[in-house]
Amino acid sequence: MERYEIDSLVGAAHGAADGVVDEVDLIPVRTYSQLVRQRFLQHRLAVVALAVMIVLIALAVIVPLATGDQYQKTSLTQTMLPPSLEHPLGTNQIGQDEFLRLMKALQTSLFIGFMAVLIIAAIGVPLGSIAGFYGGKLDNGIMRIVDVVLSLPIFFLIVMIVSFFGKGDAWVVIIAIGLTGWTLACRLIRAEFLKLRESDFVQAGRALGAGDRRIITRHILPASLAPVVVAATLGIADSVVTEAALSFLGFGISPPQASLGNMLKNFEEDLQVAPILLVYPSVTIVLIVLAASFLGDGLRDALDPRQRIEA
Amino acid sequence: MSGPARGVAVPERRHARRSTERGSTDRPLLEVKNLRTHFFTQDGVVKAVDGVSFSLDDGKTLGVVGESGCGKSVAAMSILGLVSRPGKIVEGEILLDGRDLVQLSEDDIRDVRGHTISMIFQEPMTSLNPVYTCGDQISEAVSRHLGLGRRASAERAIEMLQQVGIPDAKRRAGEYPHQLSGGMRQRVMIAAALSTTPAILIADEPTTALDVTIQAQILELMKELRARNQMSIMLITHDLGVVAEMADDVVVMYAGKVVEQSDVTTVFEQPHHPYTKGLLNSIPRLGERLKRLEVIRGVVPNPLNLPAGCLFRRRCPTAMPICETAPPLQEIKPGHLSRCWLTPSGEPPAVGTAAPADVAEAAAAELSVEA
Amino acid sequence: MATYVLRRLIQAIPILIGISLVSFAIIHLAPGDPTDRFRSGRVSPETIQNLIRLYGLDKPLPEQFVSWFTAFWQFWKPEAWGYSFVDGRPVTEKIAEKTVTTLLLMGTALFVTIIVAVPLGILAAVKQYSWADKIITSLATIGYALPSFVLGILLLYIFSIKLNLFPSFGMQSLGQENNPADIAWHMVLPVASLAIQQIAGWSRYMRASMLEVLQQDYVRTARAKGLSGSRVLFKHALRNALIPVITLLGLTIPSLLAGAAITEVIFSWPGLGYMTVQSVQTNDYPTVLAIVMIGGVMVIMGNLLADILYGLADPRIVY
Repeated sequence: MERYEIDSLVGAAHGAADGVVDEVDLIPVRTYSQLVRQRFLQHRLAVVALAVMIVLIALAVIVPLATGDQYQKTSLTQTMLPPSLEHPLGTNQIGQDEFLRLMKALQTSLFIGFMAVLIIAAIGVPLGSIAGFYGGKLDNGIMRIVDVVLSLPIFFLIVMIVSFFGKGDAWVVIIAIGLTGWTLACRLIRAEFLKLRESDFVQAGRALGAGDRRIITRHILPASLAPVVVAATLGIADSVVTEAALSFLGFGISPPQASLGNMLKNFEEDLQVAPILLVYPSVTIVLIVLAASFLGDGLRDALDPRQRIEA
Repeated sequence: MSGPARGVAVPERRHARRSTERGSTDRPLLEVKNLRTHFFTQDGVVKAVDGVSFSLDDGKTLGVVGESGCGKSVAAMSILGLVSRPGKIVEGEILLDGRDLVQLSEDDIRDVRGHTISMIFQEPMTSLNPVYTCGDQISEAVSRHLGLGRRASAERAIEMLQQVGIPDAKRRAGEYPHQLSGGMRQRVMIAAALSTTPAILIADEPTTALDVTIQAQILELMKELRARNQMSIMLITHDLGVVAEMADDVVVMYAGKVVEQSDVTTVFEQPHHPYTKGLLNSIPRLGERLKRLEVIRGVVPNPLNLPAGCLFRRRCPTAMPICETAPPLQEIKPGHLSRCWLTPSGEPPAVGTAAPADVAEAAAAELSVEA
Repeated sequence: MATYVLRRLIQAIPILIGISLVSFAIIHLAPGDPTDRFRSGRVSPETIQNLIRLYGLDKPLPEQFVSWFTAFWQFWKPEAWGYSFVDGRPVTEKIAEKTVTTLLLMGTALFVTIIVAVPLGILAAVKQYSWADKIITSLATIGYALPSFVLGILLLYIFSIKLNLFPSFGMQSLGQENNPADIAWHMVLPVASLAIQQIAGWSRYMRASMLEVLQQDYVRTARAKGLSGSRVLFKHALRNALIPVITLLGLTIPSLLAGAAITEVIFSWPGLGYMTVQSVQTNDYPTVLAIVMIGGVMVIMGNLLADILYGLADPRIVY
């Protein structure tokens, strides 16, 4: 439903004169979320990406839920079957249904990805807000820690943490990725806070007697979340890839658990015998990253008030 | 082509002649005829400059005045062919000493830029490249257009810095823009623009970003250089005070069109167009006591949704029904043009204030001085 | 500048202490005992005790840490980094061998990335919205989405197994010791696998940076001076556009390290990454500790190099 509002100065002057207001004076009014949605929908690619992500998530949730442990079922006779109605993607060398395995792997990988991002947000957002809001020594201290974390050879450390603290445990992977990956979110939030700290609406809030905590949580934080949302979307893809890399090397999720990475573990053998088995998890990973990329791009353009002019 | 030991020999300009060399033809140095520059954006066509004509005489200073968004900067950029996508010059001629700049190839117009016509911009902070020294940015123009070698260009750069009044020029030439103050940066810009002794200087809001005291200094500098180099200046500004001080002729623009045009005295003392009058009235005068400042009520029309008829109609205190038909650009007096239905003496038009559209259009065609 | 470098090096020390502390803590906090791998039925308790004493594992943790840390910096001594649990060789020796090969891989990948991504990014920005731009941007997006192990496997499959153009593992062919051409041939696929994803990221960044610079006022001024298109582009725009890209260098090193580990595993390239995987799998703690430290040093050096270059490139930066 469109709402119009009179371009006040013109309308008042003109309308007051002869009581008639021309359409030329009217400009449509939209709320922020409507604007965001409108801009987002202009990006066809981002919309498609969103749809793909939703489908992937739905599959990842529903299929394993419906089939339980069936993905683990091996068979000595039903090995290396081509795709059929019963096995939509065929079976692997030990008779497991590829489709079910893929779905379970998708579930594991997506779960780890989302959870890791949650941890990143849980650490990075508060730290970043405090650093950006209070500045001074607190800011310096937190930024120092960020510098140290960024100086670490992160991948090697994750490998170490994961392998020494428990191979095969999804939560160890999640925590490892989370503990090492929060720096970007922290910096982004801090930058936003530094920018918004002195803005008028914050002053207004203070004038009404709001305390620090209220200002941070209710005023600045919602306005500063935009870049973090974008970073989180890309972060999910990143975490999925990191987890896949870990499992691929043998450190993350190990069989019989399924993850997109460990489905690629036997690549040497598979390349010779059944290359198609490598295609499924690869394509899925690429799909997730592409979808997250475009989605992130779309979100960034939708949430960012600057506009592009195109010929 | 290096000069003698002291100083640098500057070759003659190829494109323009000084007034002392003029023949019998009294052609203006620069003539803009019916210029239309439109921007083809996602949301529609913005007619930034829509049928603008003016001319710049040799040795004179033309002030182009108007609010932000009236198209004055775009007009200037059009002259040098600097309008970038999605903008395009769709119609018009820009005659520099008889040559149409619009038709020139990219190579040829580049010879004109920075050489025959130089331009300086509003923001000295961002208009200079931060990673190159000031001297470098001056000497590159010199070596490009005057063909001087490295050392000669560098010497000329220092010379120019001295001319624009920068103390310790040699040291400053080796410094970077961020090490200079705003006023000094603008001087460097001017130095770079004038280093090739152009015939025309286009100055787009040269003092707007500067403090008032610095502003005065820069204007003085420009006057001095104008006299010394016998330069013509096209001065774009929204500041009427600057216009009064510097300009010989004035063009007033509104929403992409010229609404009034004459010499500076006439425009300031006998303004015709209601917009010009409004602009002049809104300047607070020293010594006067007013309860409220006078404003022109209303806002500039949305360029994507321009109303029909006179573009100033909605804000005009003397608007009449006939204003729904676009008024012609009339010659009120010799050398004084105004785009308004009012007669030269300020009375409603002869065809009547409520003339129907077809009658009005016929009258407009008759009265108009536009082609 | 010199004082800045010195200051940064000094600041690096606490970071390195931090890294080693973290690594040390992880190893010893993890469930199980460092000597677990020795405990099989056939090893007598006395042997185990001897081993424990040999490796100093019976001393209190802080003491272990301090003695390890102080010994670490005397890296020219063979025993400085301990002896590998796997083959008893000095860790310094093992690492020295592999570091060179990994640096070869990483260095070449970085070089290739720069010479490909920068021109591509410039081209895409200058011809914005043209088909060239669209192709480059799409390729970059796809390239970015391909994790290096997926890409590596793909390249291995297509170019090595199917087309048989390149070798599928190792650094050198049998009987061809230290032949640069042979090594180069072996390097093509792993370098491509490492570089493609980096190129995708860098070219997008370069394009974005260039686009932003091209909007700047000083570019308009340069054009107004009548300078030629290429001069405006390469003299005025490019240098400014490269400045933020230099900071990418700092971020690329850790990324390359991670990618190298995976790529080395896929292509059996004998480097640090490969060794990391092996030593973690075999619980070879001294080696793991040393590798993590080396990794940390590389990251710090990479960041420092990026900051120095940044300071040299941008005259506004004063250290």
